Formats: sequence, C-alpha cells, structure tokens
Amino acid sequence: MLKIQNLHASVEDKTIIKGLDLEVKPGEVHAIMGPNGAGKSTLGYVLSGRDGYEVNEGTATFNNQDLLDMDVEERAQSGLFLAFQYPVEIPGVSNMEFMKESVNAIREKQGKESLTAAEFLKKAKEACKQVQLPLAFLKRGVNEGFSGGEKKRNEIMQMILLQPTLAILDESDSGLDVDALQVVADGVNSQRDGERSFIVVTHYQRLLDYIKPDFVHILADGKIVKSGDASLAQEVEKNGYAFLGKKYEESEV
Amino acid sequence: MSQWLNQVIEHASVPSDFLATVRQQSRETLQQQGWPGRRAESWRFTPLTSVAKREVKSATDVTAQHAPEIDGLNAIELVFVDGKLTTDCDKLEVPDGVLIATFDNLSEAEQQRAAKVFGQVKPEHHVFGLVNDVASEQGVFIDVADNVTLEKVIRITNLVSQDVDAHTRVAVNIGENASARIVEHAQGDTPSMTTAFVEYMIGDNAHLEHYRFALMAGQAKQIGGSHFALHNGSTLNSTIVGYGSELSRLDVDIIHRGEHADAKMNAVYLLAQGELFDLHSNIEHTQPNGTTEENARGIIGDNARAVFNGRIHIHRDAQKTLAELNNRNLLLSRKGLINTKPELEIYADDVKCAHGATVAEIDEEALYYLLTRGISRSKALVILNFGFIQELVNQVPDDAIREWLLPKLSERFTRMEVK
Repeated sequence: MLKIQNLHASVEDKTIIKGLDLEVKPGEVHAIMGPNGAGKSTLGYVLSGRDGYEVNEGTATFNNQDLLDMDVEERAQSGLFLAFQYPVEIPGVSNMEFMKESVNAIREKQGKESLTAAEFLKKAKEACKQVQLPLAFLKRGVNEGFSGGEKKRNEIMQMILLQPTLAILDESDSGLDVDALQVVADGVNSQRDGERSFIVVTHYQRLLDYIKPDFVHILADGKIVKSGDASLAQEVEKNGYAFLGKKYEESEV
Repeated sequence: MSQWLNQVIEHASVPSDFLATVRQQSRETLQQQGWPGRRAESWRFTPLTSVAKREVKSATDVTAQHAPEIDGLNAIELVFVDGKLTTDCDKLEVPDGVLIATFDNLSEAEQQRAAKVFGQVKPEHHVFGLVNDVASEQGVFIDVADNVTLEKVIRITNLVSQDVDAHTRVAVNIGENASARIVEHAQGDTPSMTTAFVEYMIGDNAHLEHYRFALMAGQAKQIGGSHFALHNGSTLNSTIVGYGSELSRLDVDIIHRGEHADAKMNAVYLLAQGELFDLHSNIEHTQPNGTTEENARGIIGDNARAVFNGRIHIHRDAQKTLAELNNRNLLLSRKGLINTKPELEIYADDVKCAHGATVAEIDEEALYYLLTRGISRSKALVILNFGFIQELVNQVPDDAIREWLLPKLSERFTRMEVK
C-alpha cells in the first residue's frame, strides 16, 4: 500500500528526514515512536504534501502511484488521510459545509455520486455519535473554539466519514485524558477492517495500549533506527529512549 | 488639458434645454480647472494617462439591446446603448404617480423638479461628473410622487459597443413618504470609455433601495458616480458591486441634508488579474441625528490594484451622528495591491464615529488543511475567502438579485488565479 524508500526531506534547508524506509501493507497498523525533534510530524506533512516540505531524495509509492508527484488534494482523494496534531481553526466555515465538500470531493474522485444534504447529514450524525461529539459541533466553525480533545475527536470523525485506505494519526493522543483517549482509540479501532492501514505517530506508549500495533518503529534523527513488534513500545515505556545513545538519555518519556 | 477632454468639450452638442445653464457652467469649470494632474489627490492611485490621450469616438448606429437577464426580477427596464436611451419611455408600464421620461420630454413643472436634482446632488469637484454634465446628451428623469410605493424595480442598464465613448445621465426624485428600488447596471468588456452618473434626491421619510453593479471588465474604462441627498427621516440601503477593469472608478456621495436620516451601504469588489478598481465614498453629515453604516470588502487578484477612499465628514451642527465605516481586503497574491484610506473629519463634539481598514492574505495553514481533506485548491479558496464577501451579499434585500449575484461572484472569484 505504502512504500517509502530512502526518503530525505527538508524544511527551510534544514534536513529533517534522513533516509527513511517504511513499508505498510493493507490492514497493518504501524506505530512510529520517537523523541521530540525526531521528525515524526514532518513525516506526516511530507507524505501529505505540505508546501515548504521538500523531498530531496528517495521515493514513496502509494497504491502503486508516485505519491510525491501528487498534489495535496490528489493524495487525499486517493485515500490518504492525515489526522493533525494541532488542527487549524477556520472561523466562518462551518464544520458541516467543510465536511460535505470534502466527502463529495473524494466521492467524485472515486466515481461515486455526491451525497445529498440529507444523506450527508445522516452519515455525519452517526460519525459524531461514534466519537461522542455533540451535533452542535457540525454547525460551528471548523475547530473554532474546540478544546484540544474536541479537535482530536473532530479529526477522527472526519476519518470515519472519509473512509481513507491509509490514515496517518499524528499524536492523536496528546493532551487527552483517559476517557477521551478511549473514545479516539475506539473510533480508530472501529475502522480496522483488515484492509485499511494506519500509521500511528506517538511520543508515548500509552495510546498503543488501546490501538494495538502490528509493528513499532523508533524514529530518531530522521531515520528508523529500530523496528519490532508491540513489545518494543513496552521497552520504550520502561527504559525511555536512552538506548538511542547519550544524546537521548535525558529525553523525557 | 488632455486631448480627450478637449475633444469631448468640442464634440458636445449642448442642448439648449432647461439644463443649459448648469451644463454651460460645468463646461466653464472644466475649462478653468483642466485635467487632473498626477498629483491630484483624488486620482493619486488611478492614473488617467490612457484616458487623456484617447481619441473620442461617438457611436454612429445604435441598435437596441436587452438588459442582462436576472431571473425572477420584476423590473421596469431602461436600457442605454452607447449613451443613448434605446427604451421608448412612452411604452413603459409605469404605475400612477411615477414618471419616467427623457429630459426633452418634460412638462414645465416636471422640468422644474428635474432641475432640482440635475447637478444639485453630485458635488462639483468630480471632474468626470462635469464631463458628464457637458457630454451626456439625453438624460432620463425618474420622479416618484409623494406617498407612492413603487413595487417594481427600475433598472437602468448601460451597454457599450467597441471603442465607443458614451455618457449617460439619470436624475431621480423620490417624493415625501415614497419608496422605490433602483438598479444601475453596467456590464461588458469591450474596449470603450463610459461615464455614468445618477443623482438621487430622497425626500422626507422616503426610502430608496439602491444597487449599482459596475461590472464592466477587461478593456472597458468606466467612470461614474451615484450621489444621494437624504432629507428628514429618509432611509437609503445601497449595495454596490464592482469589478475591476483597465480603469474602473466609482464615486459615491451620501449627503445627509435632513435630520434623522439613515444610510446603509455595502460595497463588494472583486478584481481579477491586472485589473484596477477605485471606489471613493464620501459621507457628509450636515444635520443632527443621522446614521451611516458603510461596509466595503474586496478581493484583489494577482497584479490587480484596488483603491478605497472612505471619507466621513461630520459638520459642526451634525450632533448625535452615528457613523461607521469598515473596509476589509483580501490579497490573493503578493503582487496584488490595495491603497485604502479612511478619512474622518469631525467638527461636532457629540458623535459616535468609527472606521477601520484591514488587509489580509490567504491563510496558508487553513488552505493546506482543506486540501488534505481532498477539496480542490480553487474550491478551498472559495470556501475560505469568499465567505467574507458572501456575508455582505447575503444582506442584499432583494431575493432575485441576491440569487443572481451570489453564483455570479462566486464564479468570477473561482476564475481569479492565485499565485
């Protein structure tokens, strides 16, 4: 589904990703852990095609297409979804209007008919219920005045509506209490169907108690330095990132 | 002087009608003050060189044309083509108490009423207003008698042919307690030069719902004005929509001549690549207890330039005035430009007055967010940026006009390429 080879990427001439390899097959859940500044968020931005994130070397194919050659919206239309760590607030644009445009843009690309307002509303209500967002949030401006937890749930709600083939969750656990974490994890788990894949980016092991990964990768200094199964996350939880060397010994876990 | 102005004055065949004195005066003023120089404050950002060197070309054969369709608009249609009224006023279905006639077709009493409007609302300092006084041959007088409510909209449409110079003029009198809705509509993008001025005398407790669509684009040069005199207790609700073109300039004057008059004006301008639009608005409060609320919002495309000058002048006697002016602009490119200048002159001490101007650029982070959700760039820009224009369009009181305007502006905006 996703194959990244020797990826190098930079922001404002500063190289952040330095030779990253990763292969994600259908239905797999990959966790990417790592200390602050390892390039975790950058990876999500590069894969989604954000302006200013320049790929200097390497390849990334997504469902046999050259991902790096696609525009941001094409990537999304092809089934890539990024749940943001800090979703932006867009006052004046209603969540509902925004999501309806989004769902229909993706349906159009898939050759499906646009949803009518009523059809969309029905789906949106179900998705809201699933992540325990009150329906009033559909009428509010996109993320406008949402709490941190509400923003994260709104991201998962969008994922449920858009039905991507690959979802990258960028620290969807940060700033959440245990109950909210459970809601987010339930939302994600409900979308695991053996075909849809996930890349779960997180600083902490905690989220992985709720979303069980098939693989865990440690990202440090722009590269995957260690890969393993779920037990690798436990190891990090216990010993921190000290095994990465002196530089990370003090790194908070 | 400019070649064009000289020719305009030479060519003008001033009719020896009841307006001859005013026209002659304007001609003399023009000759005295001449062509606005580069440093003339009101033309500082809008160079007139392309007009100055222009050769005057009057239309020869004028054929009647239809006004642009507005679905569901129930209107009395007046159509000017190349400065000539092609509508036969005698054939219009006009309700009792309403007069629509050309200046040469007025009774003596009607002439007297028209003379109280023509040149009596529009301030003298508008150069092209003076040009229009001199060069507009056949104007129209619209007179709504006291206590008459005109249900139908009156639409004045201006169309122009290739390379032609055209000058149109309308004088409107709305009697006491009367109510009317008037649309000024100019459209087209053929190379041309038009001036179009309308003066409105709004009587005591009268109401005017007004629209001006200055939608000439491309190489069409359009210069014009809408000028309002408000008397005791009268109200004005004006919506102005401007496109940019090679040269597009609009002057709006709202003059509170009576007490307790309320004026509301919403202006929207959308400038595509390389276009220019210049809106000068001037609000004069000469009497107490009046209100003015003006909102002007524009989106400026690549290499386009907008000029907004919003003046509020509160005279010494205009106590308890409430006046607000707000101008917001969105630049779609670093190469777009807005010169915005709010001007406040307040000589009364018990007034509430506010003004502000803002300029924003595209919020790249919000745009990226929408793109990651599969929304196309052009659609995302419409969602993000069209909203603040839409907010004003949503306030348009007439349903048919609003329904016509929204998709029209949205389509223009979508075509405005972002760099």
